Amino acid sequence: MTIKRREFLGHVAAGSAVLSMPAFLSACGIQQATAVGDTTPENPFMDWFGVDQATVARVMSELTANGADAADLYFQHRRTNTLMLEDGIVSSARSGIEQGVGLRVVIGDQTGYAFTEDLALPSMLAAARTASAIASRSRVVSPQAFSPKHMGDLYTTSVPWADVGIDRKLPLLKFVESKAKALDAAVEKVAVYWADQDERVMIATLEGSLVTDHRPMTRVTLTVTAKKGDEIQSGYSNIAARQDFNWYTEERLSTMVKEAVDRTMILFDARRPPAGEMPVILAAGASGILLHEAIGHGMEADFNRKGTSIYSDMMGKKVAEPFVTVVDQATIPRERGALNYDDEGNKTGRTVMVENGILKSYLHDRISARQYDLKPTGSGRRQSYKFAPMPRMTCTFMEDGPHTRDEIIAAVDYGIICETYTNGQVQIGAGDFTFYVKNGWLIEKGKVTAPIKDVNIIGNGPECLKRITMVANDARLDTGGWTCGKNGQRVPVSQGIPTVLVSNMTVGGESVS
Amino acid sequence: MSADLINRATQAVELARNAGAQDAWATASQGRDVVFEYRDGKLEKVKDTTSRNLAIKVYAAGRYSSHRTTDLKPDRLKGFINEAVAITRALEPDEYRRITPAALFENRPGDDLDLVDANVETLDRDRRVNWCKAIDEVAHGHERVISATAGVYDGTSTSASASSNGFVGERRSTYCWLGTQITLKDQGDKRASDSFYAGGAHIADLPDAAMIGKTALERALSRLDSRKGPTVRTSMLVDSRAAASLIGRLLRPANARSVQQGRSFWASLIGEQAFSDKLTIIDDPLIRRGLASRHYDGEGISAKVLPIIENGVIRNIYVDTYYGRKGDMAPTTGTPSNRRIEPGRYSLPELFREVGDGVYVTSWLGGNANATTGDFSLGLRGHMIENGEIGAPVSEMNVTGNLRDLFGRLELVGNDPYPYSTTLAPSLVFAGVDFSGV
Repeated sequence: MTIKRREFLGHVAAGSAVLSMPAFLSACGIQQATAVGDTTPENPFMDWFGVDQATVARVMSELTANGADAADLYFQHRRTNTLMLEDGIVSSARSGIEQGVGLRVVIGDQTGYAFTEDLALPSMLAAARTASAIASRSRVVSPQAFSPKHMGDLYTTSVPWADVGIDRKLPLLKFVESKAKALDAAVEKVAVYWADQDERVMIATLEGSLVTDHRPMTRVTLTVTAKKGDEIQSGYSNIAARQDFNWYTEERLSTMVKEAVDRTMILFDARRPPAGEMPVILAAGASGILLHEAIGHGMEADFNRKGTSIYSDMMGKKVAEPFVTVVDQATIPRERGALNYDDEGNKTGRTVMVENGILKSYLHDRISARQYDLKPTGSGRRQSYKFAPMPRMTCTFMEDGPHTRDEIIAAVDYGIICETYTNGQVQIGAGDFTFYVKNGWLIEKGKVTAPIKDVNIIGNGPECLKRITMVANDARLDTGGWTCGKNGQRVPVSQGIPTVLVSNMTVGGESVS
Repeated sequence: MSADLINRATQAVELARNAGAQDAWATASQGRDVVFEYRDGKLEKVKDTTSRNLAIKVYAAGRYSSHRTTDLKPDRLKGFINEAVAITRALEPDEYRRITPAALFENRPGDDLDLVDANVETLDRDRRVNWCKAIDEVAHGHERVISATAGVYDGTSTSASASSNGFVGERRSTYCWLGTQITLKDQGDKRASDSFYAGGAHIADLPDAAMIGKTALERALSRLDSRKGPTVRTSMLVDSRAAASLIGRLLRPANARSVQQGRSFWASLIGEQAFSDKLTIIDDPLIRRGLASRHYDGEGISAKVLPIIENGVIRNIYVDTYYGRKGDMAPTTGTPSNRRIEPGRYSLPELFREVGDGVYVTSWLGGNANATTGDFSLGLRGHMIENGEIGAPVSEMNVTGNLRDLFGRLELVGNDPYPYSTTLAPSLVFAGVDFSGV
């Protein structure tokens, strides 16, 4: 095929198939575009965004005209498709295209930022001048050419979402619905929400590197409403990953459906636990929300360089028992939080925040890394071209410990075990954090007894870490579609944990009086 | 400028019609947003952006879909809309998916909502930096301050909508917010922090910068040395600035979609005395200079004042055209505007005296509410109330209950609606609430 990407886009908009594309058309995908460059064999991403080396160099020069310690151009194109099934039919779809370039200048800890959605040179130059106004030094030497970095392979897919039509997705939503209705006669309403996303980013940095990343994402959420007598209960489950269509096997979907129905039906028998302090067991998987709130956010280095986090002065200190190791790692293939490069163009990796109970490393972006005289940890992320990056988590988890789940349950005389969650929050300075438990169980005399529901749990980060007295050997990452919000920016994340015991936390509940 | 947006919306509708849509609704938007943030005596971040997008709802062959793009190059846009129509055709037909009936466009109010302040559009760098400096100086007025970030956030947004059945409308508004977040050294490694942000459509409606810094600092200082309070059933006084979010949780299931989908505890209560007779909530899109004021909603339905709850009786819920048809409810509007909670006669100090002993909530931390059952459980911080006075600061506590039951226990309403929110809520007092702490 000799159709260039830009022409191709002109014909069918930005690459989302309505119906599955015939093979000859899908062969025009991004992978093949290298061979059909303009006058120079440009990077296919340059071709996609309609720019070339000279244009990017010109904009970078304008952006750094008043000086810069760091500067980057963040080109992004994101196509999102969603489908909704309610009342037995798929009668609503949404699609969205976000395309633009964000331009950033950094001087010390000062940031100038602008973006434009018009990728023509005059608009980009105007935005560059706006962003550069923060600086008042002399012009720096900016690169004339940008060398492409090796593309990562954490989530390479065989079939891009652009080539998967509604005709293939629709039966899958129907399957989920029929499966849910079949599982329990009390199920009255089923809603299925589908989302897939193709994202391309291209980051040109002042050091002259050109980072490109093709980031797929997909998520399915199922909501179930059931009725018994006059009582109505609803519950949900979802799965998400940087995966392609083939990820949705019948088995995977069936597991998700069963989870949603089970979580809903148990609510008819569930009660609120009594209020107050008690031992709390966090079941393996989604309970990683504890790490995200109790320590992860507090370890983001922007808070620490400003001195506003409760962890600001704890580096190198003992914060937990020796069997507690907490990691943030973007390089776990195909996880929702996975990233080949961060949104500043740094290679991602594995950051051990707590190693054998000792506080080891914050999560750094370029600004904080320079201030601490360390290498960035590849934690600079942003929601889109509309935002400047900041330190964020990716996949956050705790490693296996020496105990077993059974030992942990047996060790609790009276407490709860938490299994599913909807949301959490933290105060960075005070260290207080919460998570909302959707489903769990009461533990009485070392046995799992009655189901509990809808209860908030609150604790204090460093105190809670000290109170992790047992860690099991069953660590796993949750496959739920978690999204983290910070300063108005949302990014996809993953979290995981083995079964752990926190000896004391404050559980919302009903007063025994 | 807005003529350009109207043209863009009208042309998008035409493109959709040419591509085979029976009906289409397009909205073209653009905006400018400026951020100045200043931390500890130095400008930290300047962001100045203009953005634009086009959104289109397509009705074709008894089917529906909606789409949005920032890529407005003419050839791309044409391809995008062609594809939008093709996507629509690939869905399943739904008799309830129809464009807003033109009758709902009628009687659009002509009130001057006064949503544009020309002074916002001409703000310059010096003015913004001077505000930051003035806030920063006051915010640092205590030896315990570790860090304070002051900010100015302003901008303009403009949009125009057009439909294939004759709707044309345009909206334009400005905003300007000032504020600061302050972190203080507390016991051990702990930091106490709080913030205050004030904003509106007009600069003239803002408090002065020094007052903003002072308020934030007082709030942060009041958080010092807070401790976990008791596990107890007692009265709860929710401060006006925390009340809006609680009201938001109460109203979240108050819409036709939640009711029709069986996920609303309001469903069986419409028309009933569901809550305390002290509670009256009005959706009012016509407040002059209101943060969510408008002449028409996102479906083109003409704005009108809509009582949601009157003296505890549910009068209306939010009904859009689709779930209205599907659930056999007359459309009101699918999107909330300003929500006024009818104030009572008590000042905050009077509420303290009336309560005597209890918990004063100044902010929430996390938590959630189950829309289907009304069960909620929320983290909080605030103060104990002792002998009618504000007492020791408390944190790391939860409050748990059921929203219907809680709002049945609303006993007193303050006269102090919080102005810097789309929900204008006064301080509220509830009796017999379950707190968990020590």
